[in-house]
Amino acid sequence: MHADKHRSPLMTRRQVLGAGAAGLALTRCGRAPQVAARKFPVSSVSIVKASGYTMDVYDTVYRMIADHSLDVRGKRIVLKPNLVEYDANTAINTHPTIVHATFEAFRKLGAADVRIAEGPGHRRGTLDLADAAGYFSTVAKFEEQFTDLNTDAVAKRTIVEPVSKLKSLYLPHTVLDCDLLVSVAKMKTHHWAGATLSMKNLFGLVPGAVYGWPKNVLHWAGINESIVDLHHLFPKQFAVVDGIIGMEGNGPIQGTPKYAGVLVAGSDPAGVDATCCRVMGIDPKQISYLQMARGVENLGEGAFRQTGERIASVRTNFELVEEWKGIRLG
Amino acid sequence: MTDWKTRQNNDGGWAYDYSVRQARGGCSWTEPTVYVLLAQAAAERDGASFAGGVRFLSSIARSDGGFSPQPGVEESTWVTALVALLPEEALGAQQRHRAITWLKGVTGQESGWRYRFQQWRNGDPQEYPEGWPWFPGAAAWVTPTSMGILAFERALRRGGADSGLEDRVQSGKKFLLGRMCADGGWNHGSNRALGRDGDSYPETTGIALVALNGVGGPQIEKAKAAARRHLTTCRTAEGIAWLRMGLAAHGEKAESAVEPVCRTNMDTALMAMASAERNLATDARG
Repeated sequence: MHADKHRSPLMTRRQVLGAGAAGLALTRCGRAPQVAARKFPVSSVSIVKASGYTMDVYDTVYRMIADHSLDVRGKRIVLKPNLVEYDANTAINTHPTIVHATFEAFRKLGAADVRIAEGPGHRRGTLDLADAAGYFSTVAKFEEQFTDLNTDAVAKRTIVEPVSKLKSLYLPHTVLDCDLLVSVAKMKTHHWAGATLSMKNLFGLVPGAVYGWPKNVLHWAGINESIVDLHHLFPKQFAVVDGIIGMEGNGPIQGTPKYAGVLVAGSDPAGVDATCCRVMGIDPKQISYLQMARGVENLGEGAFRQTGERIASVRTNFELVEEWKGIRLG
Repeated sequence: MTDWKTRQNNDGGWAYDYSVRQARGGCSWTEPTVYVLLAQAAAERDGASFAGGVRFLSSIARSDGGFSPQPGVEESTWVTALVALLPEEALGAQQRHRAITWLKGVTGQESGWRYRFQQWRNGDPQEYPEGWPWFPGAAAWVTPTSMGILAFERALRRGGADSGLEDRVQSGKKFLLGRMCADGGWNHGSNRALGRDGDSYPETTGIALVALNGVGGPQIEKAKAAARRHLTTCRTAEGIAWLRMGLAAHGEKAESAVEPVCRTNMDTALMAMASAERNLATDARG
């Protein structure tokens, strides 16, 4: 396994336990099941340059989503941002302007209902967190448009053919009942998974009020494996990744902001994430959850139809911590 | 004085959120229901409302002795410790005993024999004090461990000596002290990752200090200093309430210059508890 090759020297078991949950998870995920050789249809991934979080970005996001010809008229859409910490001045959270632009784009495309929904994995006061991150000041009547997925009513869903040790998960009604789940993620490096993009962002769907903070059952079941299981539970997805200012180094929280000036979007989250990896100078074939979701043979550059900018024209190598240096794209 | 009855669901429980959520039919959860009942018990009790809350909790008691976080969840979890913190007359001796017995059988996965054996085989001599997980089968964390300690202290006060409970209280406190962040406070329990120190959070710092009531020494002094520091910058009701309760558990009356916005039932209940003379620590210690 490519990623295992880079994971193994990360920490000793003693260090792992000192690190808490995420560390505990590593002791459990020594396996990365091979995806049976399977062909996936070539999906379309948009790469669009965006210089900053300005008013222009509203039109950019609208055109980028409209290019995918989604029929969302009359549909219920849930936007899932990556909301992590109380700080509007870092690159930890999906920028509120991108969330709002996506919100407005789906409304303009005729969606019957667009909700923003998130269940942060570290901090409990979700509304306080959203306020501090600038969501209240950016999205009018934010509280009315928002659902805290940590405390939403839940239903149990069986995971058919699980990759992780999970057999089932309780999940919020708001996401189970929607017609399209849109992961509005941040482009960041991740010290346990290599990169966190639209697929890893789905951890925030898992209700903290059932599983706690952090959502440690996912760590024990295997971080990468759980990402894949969550991805499979939601077959109708769209992904928008905010890479205008991402995070490099010791992400997803303690890293440093990295300007990449790019937005990436598409209906195939694995394709979007693989493309983001290339933009970040990371080999997607070395990311365990992408391997498991698609198989290495379906992660080549030719497996996706890139529209807009060419990867080479927007590639910006994100700094990698020592333990992940080996995933650098050649 | 909060009118808890207007925020109460028909089943007697309370949702986390009461604004948008209530308008959309937010369901009752164990955690906010317990905090509202504790707030009522600490301040002014509305008899009918209180009885409704107790009825809701009784309805979700599970056959294994524990409580689930929401009626739709089929497993008992850490919220069992919260329920065990309710006043004597609310829960009843038998149900409390069953809840405590359930809690006795639950530890973080890392302190179970299977994991310890695996670590021993790998040459890791590290000790893993027993704490409590949020959800069975996962590792122990600061908040559920703190509530487990308080529930057991309360049970000891009511039921007399029990070495099993006393051992778990001591082990839980050892767990908390071992998970203290370098800055003196606590986050959820991950104090170091990839060789770097994690930052503490206001709410978890306050919660751990409540559970460490009766403990003194340099570590606690450092924790109190961290709590005071957090109190000068924290703007959330949850954080401010727990910091005040944490410092109060160590005999220090503290106020915040900030008047926080109470956005949820939890926020309102916790602020009411922080303002009351009685708190979780004094109740637990008797």
